[in-house]
Amino acid sequence: MSSRSGSAREYETSDRSPGLSAFPPVPESSESEAEGLIFYHMDLYGSKERFDIFPKELTGQEDRSLGDTRKESALSSEKFQRAQEAGYDLEKEVAELAKMYGLDEDREKELELLGGHLEMVESRWPPARTEKVGSQGSIYNASKSSSPMKDQSQSTKQQGLPGEASQDEEENKARAEDKAESHIGSGEGLSSSGMSDEWNSQAVSEEEAADIFCSTCKMPIRAFDKLFGEHKDHEVAQLPSALESEKEEIHKNMCKLEEQIAQMENFASHLEEIFITVEENFGRQEQNFEVHYNDAVQVLAQKYEEQLEALGEEKRQKLEALYGQLVSCGEHLDTCKELTDATQELYLENDKASFMKAAVTMVDRLEEFLKKEVDLELSTLPDFEERVIDFSEVEQLMNSINTIPAPCAPVINPQAPNTATGTSLRVCWGLFSDDTVECYQLCYKPVSNERSSDEQAEHTLKVKETYCTITNLLPNTQYEFWVSALNASGISPPSERTVYVTAPSPPTIKNKKIRSCENAALVCWESRDINPVDSYTVELSKLTDEENGDTITESIVGIPNCEVLIHLQPTQSYRICIRALNLGGSSERSEPVLIHTTGTYFCLNEDTAHPLLAILDDGFTIACDELENPECDLPVYDNSFTRCIGILGSLIPFPGKHYWEVEVEEDTEYRIGVAFENTPRHGYLGANNSSWCMRHIITPSRHKYEFLHSGMTPDIRITIPPRRIGILLDYENCRLSFFNADIAQHLYAFNSHFQHYVHPCFALETPGILRIHTGIAIPPWTALP
Amino acid sequence: MKFGIYLPPKAETAKCPVLYWLSGLTCTEQNFITKAGFHQAAAEHGLIVVAPDTSPRGCNIEGEDESWDFGTGAGFYVDATEDPWKTNYRMYSYIKDELPKLINANFPTDPERMSIFGHSMGGHGALILALKNPGKYKSVSAFAPICNPIQCEWGKKALGGYLGSDAYDATQLVKSYPNSHLDILIDQGKDDQFLSAGQLLPDNFIAACTEQKIPVVFRLQQASCFCSP
Repeated sequence: MSSRSGSAREYETSDRSPGLSAFPPVPESSESEAEGLIFYHMDLYGSKERFDIFPKELTGQEDRSLGDTRKESALSSEKFQRAQEAGYDLEKEVAELAKMYGLDEDREKELELLGGHLEMVESRWPPARTEKVGSQGSIYNASKSSSPMKDQSQSTKQQGLPGEASQDEEENKARAEDKAESHIGSGEGLSSSGMSDEWNSQAVSEEEAADIFCSTCKMPIRAFDKLFGEHKDHEVAQLPSALESEKEEIHKNMCKLEEQIAQMENFASHLEEIFITVEENFGRQEQNFEVHYNDAVQVLAQKYEEQLEALGEEKRQKLEALYGQLVSCGEHLDTCKELTDATQELYLENDKASFMKAAVTMVDRLEEFLKKEVDLELSTLPDFEERVIDFSEVEQLMNSINTIPAPCAPVINPQAPNTATGTSLRVCWGLFSDDTVECYQLCYKPVSNERSSDEQAEHTLKVKETYCTITNLLPNTQYEFWVSALNASGISPPSERTVYVTAPSPPTIKNKKIRSCENAALVCWESRDINPVDSYTVELSKLTDEENGDTITESIVGIPNCEVLIHLQPTQSYRICIRALNLGGSSERSEPVLIHTTGTYFCLNEDTAHPLLAILDDGFTIACDELENPECDLPVYDNSFTRCIGILGSLIPFPGKHYWEVEVEEDTEYRIGVAFENTPRHGYLGANNSSWCMRHIITPSRHKYEFLHSGMTPDIRITIPPRRIGILLDYENCRLSFFNADIAQHLYAFNSHFQHYVHPCFALETPGILRIHTGIAIPPWTALP
Repeated sequence: MKFGIYLPPKAETAKCPVLYWLSGLTCTEQNFITKAGFHQAAAEHGLIVVAPDTSPRGCNIEGEDESWDFGTGAGFYVDATEDPWKTNYRMYSYIKDELPKLINANFPTDPERMSIFGHSMGGHGALILALKNPGKYKSVSAFAPICNPIQCEWGKKALGGYLGSDAYDATQLVKSYPNSHLDILIDQGKDDQFLSAGQLLPDNFIAACTEQKIPVVFRLQQASCFCSP
């Protein structure tokens, strides 16, 4: 059927601009299009043409959606149209349409159409006209789906053109008949014919508008029809709701369409990338091929040279041989000649006796000479041997064009900072060239100074990526890494060996050795690794009332030794941790320690304690049980007191004022005060010039108190024996004061310029207990001298 | 009555605590101010120092100038109850009420903070005033005080003359001192002649304080001379 073929073409051409029919001149070559040729624009992204392309993809989808698209665009075009001037050249429009949809030959139809149009024109309002044009176009493109049409008509209705509805209804009816078909042409034909037929009937049905929707037939109908017509038993729904659902349907499909658009755009850009990759790959292959070719050619040339040289050599040899022959021939000839001459001469000899003599000799000579064999054979043939150029090598080369070479050695990157932990390392490497590599072989072993078995600790891994994280390593240890690349052709030589080092283990803070005062703290720790680390970092955070104790307020870096003096604010609490650092990075934080900058804090030096002096569990109570044999045989450390049953506290190395208290019992005899580090361990506290202390003795009549330094004491009576003694050490004012802390009574003060920092000291002279209290803020009543 | 007063620089801008100095036998209000050399320390600590006279003068009482340790210059800081002394010789009330009132009204004092100290007879005066007025003085210090006058010659003479009772004996007072919140510091020269003469008797005082649990720090210093400070 011509219409069918026409329809096929129409289908395609109509793809181009279904809705565009209503648009003013379109830049595409719709007008210049030749019959039977289909033009697709190269610019894939022009928005107008979008709808042109997709319909090809959409063939797999429901034609319904196709129709939806068209309807939508028709709708929009329609609206657009309305925005334009009212006066529109209808005929031109139609002609364009017709041409576009291949109706050119089908003049009959066209005329019919036009006629129909004209009829409509006469009976309809101008806007309706334009709309109709649009809808006409749509009709031709649609396969089914009356609802979009409905939309149009609805919108028309909404625009206050109720008269349209019935006509649309008719059209829809016509379309409804074509629902199942995918051949638009037939639909078109039918519709067109149907349309022309129905033009007349429209006049009749004009008065009654369709107001409900028949779901069964998928067309709007009048209520009347429902009751009395063929739609009597069909499912119906209210037009508005049907409208809504159809709109939704369209919308869904539009969304799908947009998705498609996105997909295709992505694909297009991907394709572009692929273009580039193809070029790259081509380049690489070309190069590869060239190299191989050159190799082959080189080998060939080499072979050629070789053979040529051999040939030359052969020639030389032959010639030499022949020359040799010639020479000997010449010699022979000479000799012959000579003999001949001699013989000739002989004949000239007249003297018979001489002649006979000479002749005999000559005959002998001649005989002798003639005995010799005359070699008349050629020593060598003039022919050269067959030479064949050995192509096997070249063949091999040519064959190997397609095989990839074994890779070159990779290069291991130097260790990146902060990629190591105490037990793992992240090793990265790269390829020097463009080789194809399937995987890598990474080897490592700890670096050690011993020459012993290198194989022992060596590990090997196969890795696909160009990096690898090795775990289960020892902290603060150096490891040597080398890597080779593997592909189908073999393995590359190993890379240079590179050393990585793991981060150190976190150090351990020596809790027992911490000393602090109101504005400073002395912290020491020890490393947990055997090898030395580069430096340490102290992290301290001030604890405020808020929960957030994790904010680091200060970091001190580059500490070379295992101790640090930190300046702090008074009456605060701090959390302090230490990290160890080496080239590999920083260790985890050590266990934190809490420091309170209230008062002065120190600990007891266990290694200075006299053997009979015991330090109780809390670390601040000392006790002596028995006095037997103060100079006893118990094990004595180098640093401990031997006679005086005493102990030193840790050094107080901070300037300023420091205060602590000692709780004593009424019947305890004690010495408490301060001493220099070098106070003699064989001496008694207070008996020398390196210690100052308050001493309590009980006599039968009363408590006796002495304030000893260099063995001397003032004569002092104290009426109330203190139970809690406050000691104020004032480096600045060169004073050591003692108080009865319970009643805030000043007892005595030494005025002495302390040349060094001192240690608190404590000693017992009778069995008893001393409790030491630190971390107390300096009481105000100690202020005045 | 004359008195000496030292105002530290701090007194120009703020109220200062007051330290009352009671001089010993034969002294006037000048001795301490002139000879003691306390000014720097007082300035450093922002203390006002008041040094009253040791007795009323020119009272025209018969026998007032007869002995150096009784009468003029030897008021013993008591309120005499015996004639002819009872009208004029009221050093106790003077030091306790009259003088502080006068000082507080005319100088930038902190009336809540006052302490008392003295030498010898003044030491005795300081002790008894502190013991008889618990809580009035923040601290009391005494240099070679007469601790137990009723037991020593001086005291017997003076107290017997001015009073009929031992109401002004520090040692006796201590025995009935109600609350132990008192800071007493006593410095005594070891070679003090009067110590050895039994005039001062600090041991008695100390023993009493120990028993009563009154906190005293008693320092026996190397000073040999009893001279007024």
